[in-house]
Amino acid sequence: MAGDRHAFPPASRRVRFGEMSDSDASSSGGLASGPGGLGDGELVGLAAAGRRDAFEELVRRHADQLYAVILRLTGDAGEAEEVVQEAFLRAWRGIDRFERRAQFFTWLYRIGLNEAKRRAGRRPASEPLSVEDGALAQTADFSHAPERRAEQHALRVVLERAVRDLPAGYRAPLILRDVEGLSTEQAAEIMGLKEAAFKSRLHRARLKVRDAMDAYLADDAR
Amino acid sequence: MMRLRDMRPSFMRDHMWARRHLAAYLDGALDTRGRHRLEHHAHLCPKCHQLVATLVQTLEGLRALREPPLGMTSPISDSVIARLREESG
Repeated sequence: MAGDRHAFPPASRRVRFGEMSDSDASSSGGLASGPGGLGDGELVGLAAAGRRDAFEELVRRHADQLYAVILRLTGDAGEAEEVVQEAFLRAWRGIDRFERRAQFFTWLYRIGLNEAKRRAGRRPASEPLSVEDGALAQTADFSHAPERRAEQHALRVVLERAVRDLPAGYRAPLILRDVEGLSTEQAAEIMGLKEAAFKSRLHRARLKVRDAMDAYLADDAR
Repeated sequence: MMRLRDMRPSFMRDHMWARRHLAAYLDGALDTRGRHRLEHHAHLCPKCHQLVATLVQTLEGLRALREPPLGMTSPISDSVIARLREESG
């Protein structure tokens, strides 16, 4: 569940940022039990005070997932890595401006999506995406039946292609909500859309992907 | 094909209602009564049945895409942290 991935640590593991005195921080080299034990909110507070190690912990927590989202959006591994690096650098430079009403990861994803959009605007329209069909679908598969494995792989390829073929404005809602499993509220916030507008785009995107899958299944049945 | 007896006003009303509430159904946002109404209609309406079934299948497939691609074996965080250290000196 996305909620699990992005949830703060359990209450028993939380340390309130304000409860850590300066002497605690300095005597322990900064973070009493290592930054891993703190919630995102606490880490943001420390990072805003200039603690790069706290920000690095945020990077460890969120970089891979952000990369997965951006890779699906751009279809280009090198581009996705650059976007993720740039997103974190921007977040680091602007961490003191982060409004803590929002969750850190929604703010970060928004920066990442905007960066991906900015770069896509610079790319010539005719330039093809560099990922070959199915390259994103190469995941570990523990299914032992070869036919079943082949069937699952084919389906993944169809889905990957259908997602990639969506207009960018539809692709992002689908990736955030249906692939990454974020809540509608979180995904709409990342995209800077009102929930109603987000839901409308999401539904259209689902119908388009469903049409592609339907066509594939119909072909397969022949 | 929809049969003539299925074109009754109540059927068509449910048909329109089901289409309007399909997105909410897929997101689990309908209450029990609404969910039953949509599922009951889908049971009677082949078009809606097919639409709901393939959308549910599509969503399951999309969820399965979430596993990271094999290419992501080395954590991207290493390169981000290296760049961060480089930039901030």
